[in-house]
Amino acid sequence: MIATRVLAAARTFAPRSRSFVPRPGLPRAILGAIIGFALGIGLAAELKAEPGQLLALAYLFGLAGFLLGVGAFRFWLTWAVGREIDVAEEHAAHGRAGEWQRYFRFTTDHKVIGVQYLVTAFVLFFTAGTAAMFMRFELAQPGIATNKELYNTIMSTHGAMMITVALVSIIGGLGNYLVPIMIGARDMAFPKANALSYWMLPLAILLVAINPLLGGFDSGWTAYPPLSQQANLGQQAYLMAFVTVGVSSILSAINFLVTVFRMRAPGMSLMRMPIFVWALTVTAALALIATSVVAAAFTMLLFDRILGTAFFRASRGGDVILFQHLFWFYSHPAVYIMALPGLGAILEVVPVFARKPLFAYPLAVLSFISIGVMSFMVWAHHMFVSGMAEFFHIPIMLTTELISVPTGIVFLSALGTIWLGRIQFKVPMLWVFGFIWAFLIGGITGVFLADVPTDIALSDTAFVVAHFHYTIVGGTIFGLFAGTYYWFPKITGRMYNERLGRLHFWWFTLAFNATFIPMFWLGIEGMRRRVADYPAEFGTVNLFISIAAFNIALSVGVFAFNMIRSWKTGPLAESNPWQAQTLEWQIASPPPIQNFDEIPTVTATPYQYGSPRPAAADGSSAS
Amino acid sequence: MSPRRHLLTAGAVWVVLSVLGIVVVAGLQIIPVIASREAAIENSAFVLLTAVSVPVLMLVVVGLAYAALRFRAPGASVAGSADGMADGTIDGPPIHGHRGFQAAWLAISLLMVLGLFAYGAVGLVEIRGAQAADFEVQVEAEQWAWHYAYANGVRSTELHVPVDRRVHLVIKSDDVIHSFWVPAFGVKQDAVPGHPTQIYVTATHAGTFPGMCAELCGLGHTGMTTTVVVADQAAVDAWLSNQPKPSAKPSPKPSPEASGS
Repeated sequence: MIATRVLAAARTFAPRSRSFVPRPGLPRAILGAIIGFALGIGLAAELKAEPGQLLALAYLFGLAGFLLGVGAFRFWLTWAVGREIDVAEEHAAHGRAGEWQRYFRFTTDHKVIGVQYLVTAFVLFFTAGTAAMFMRFELAQPGIATNKELYNTIMSTHGAMMITVALVSIIGGLGNYLVPIMIGARDMAFPKANALSYWMLPLAILLVAINPLLGGFDSGWTAYPPLSQQANLGQQAYLMAFVTVGVSSILSAINFLVTVFRMRAPGMSLMRMPIFVWALTVTAALALIATSVVAAAFTMLLFDRILGTAFFRASRGGDVILFQHLFWFYSHPAVYIMALPGLGAILEVVPVFARKPLFAYPLAVLSFISIGVMSFMVWAHHMFVSGMAEFFHIPIMLTTELISVPTGIVFLSALGTIWLGRIQFKVPMLWVFGFIWAFLIGGITGVFLADVPTDIALSDTAFVVAHFHYTIVGGTIFGLFAGTYYWFPKITGRMYNERLGRLHFWWFTLAFNATFIPMFWLGIEGMRRRVADYPAEFGTVNLFISIAAFNIALSVGVFAFNMIRSWKTGPLAESNPWQAQTLEWQIASPPPIQNFDEIPTVTATPYQYGSPRPAAADGSSAS
Repeated sequence: MSPRRHLLTAGAVWVVLSVLGIVVVAGLQIIPVIASREAAIENSAFVLLTAVSVPVLMLVVVGLAYAALRFRAPGASVAGSADGMADGTIDGPPIHGHRGFQAAWLAISLLMVLGLFAYGAVGLVEIRGAQAADFEVQVEAEQWAWHYAYANGVRSTELHVPVDRRVHLVIKSDDVIHSFWVPAFGVKQDAVPGHPTQIYVTATHAGTFPGMCAELCGLGHTGMTTTVVVADQAAVDAWLSNQPKPSAKPSPKPSPEASGS
């Protein structure tokens, strides 16, 4: 009723503004970026700027032009000049169901944004994976086959891109799509800010992708100064892009927190929320609190490079180790920003395919919260050989080992759920088993890196590379695959191909383990990380690893083929093919544009398997 | 099979595999070359941690494998669909948790972690605690080479240290961060611009050992290797007195940051 009146009022304003401004979209965004870019370069030329300053100005103006062009600020600008928003236009920004163009526009529907994030993340995953294939090509044999400078750049780019994949894929993709539906809301709390956080990414990703054209960078994604202070312009491209991703991440974190705490359906108490929503809530809190620290550290580093400050220049009173503290103060919580969504996805899938309630649900929630709190107290375990204050090794070793207690609860929950269950080994459940194995290996090897005496031997070796691939591929990518298969029918309205999914799982899992298990051995034997060459005695093992790694890429090809083909021609999915109890499965596949015709009332956790269900328990009134 | 029987069967498999695993790993030498007191301490830590990991690994692996073999849904194991079944028949028992089991899990993992911490703290102090030194060397890292300066003013590109003596290494860098690593010594320490760092090592075996830079330091990082020669005190003294002394340059070039931190 009110909306209709506003609509009527708004119409009187609408036509005039419409006729002048071309429709916002990707073409206008690209045009905006080019204009901004040119303005930045022009300004830099006027100021006689150095190359670093020129790049900064060009990127800032280009990003502003891109966001203006795509329409990111159009509603806020309308408000700012004191005009009413055209409601019809606001609804148009939501997009119409079944219209493919909305995926390439500034669209405020959380489901569109989720798909945008997810597809972007997978494209980035394939790109960074290709970079890894280059690395394994170079490392297949001792000696230098390509060249060292290119190797360092590709290695750094692989890291930077994969970190971004791990940071945004599950929370940005699956989280955006599912969290509002899972808590019984019609959208996120701030749909426009949500779209803005997505649209900050494409240009940043492009900037990282083209860094080899700017001379590349050889500092790795960790960007430790002074090396990152002497590196080429490609370094600066990475730093600026990562700060942009950080700002987007903070914006999105605020959105998730407000959505979860303010927009739950009646009866959806915190302790009735799906475990996936809990995982993303803690993740968002971590991202909100920690990200500004790395953004500050990278900005200080950028100032050192561009403006001649000396925050991290020892020769002028700066402190080199301070950067590492700031960096890891974010980047260790970031490991949990990457892993918690995966843990949440896994624990969401387990009960459905074990047909049993989630084991120890309240304890699992508590463990997520504890992981979140404790993740801020362990950062310096990345710095046991860095030269930080000597006494600091002791408390950090203690907190690092303690955090394995709440993390262990995840295994308790998963094992407790499958125990005595009636397990259906559909593809998502296969990924759960793969996840538990991989994350277990990551966790156990992490103890060797938490213990200072063994860490001294292992730090900066291939052991560390194997360990963090087990935790991040194990924690995030296995969770991402499990979640993508699990929610594919909901998101696309079609079923994926089960047989190709199984092929993908077995191929990927075997190749992944064959790639990284030998790296533990290499690290113990003394092979360093981040090197383009190694002693001849490691040749055979490295060749084996490279062949295994190429198989990972092939298996991911099967995944891409399955997803694309099934999305276009897969058999139509029912609304609830898994007979799951969370709210998203109680509405149509794909969900209608407003998610729920009528907001459901929730009476219990969505894990009532095996119990006789009262009619309203699963909130199915909306279906 | 009753739930109790399942638990007992899987538990028995777990105990057998864990015991076997511990027997296999106990007494392993994990660090490939052990030529110092520090590396020996680290190797014992490796063995202990591996032994503790075995039951943890086996618990989860046996749990997963047993569940995969014994708790498959009847008839829905491969690509079968559960759609046709009536509601309820496909579900397992409605177990939401088990207080005693959860408490035991928490208590055991907490105790294990605290035990590991205590053990690690002792090893940490043994390796990194301040000690009285018998022999001092200054290690200087630069892109991309290692230099060593000895108390009598001699400089070299190979590190020579006496066996069975406590050696104190002060590590410096003027350009970027490097990390001094001699795998056989079990020592690794970053060289940080503006902030000299130090380690102690007591070599226990004479011989020649490779060393290298462990922290990415740019284009030449891969090739930034060095050699460490361990010999008895007399041989090291003889070597030191035979080296040319750069008397014109009594101390290595003064670094502006050396006093800054």
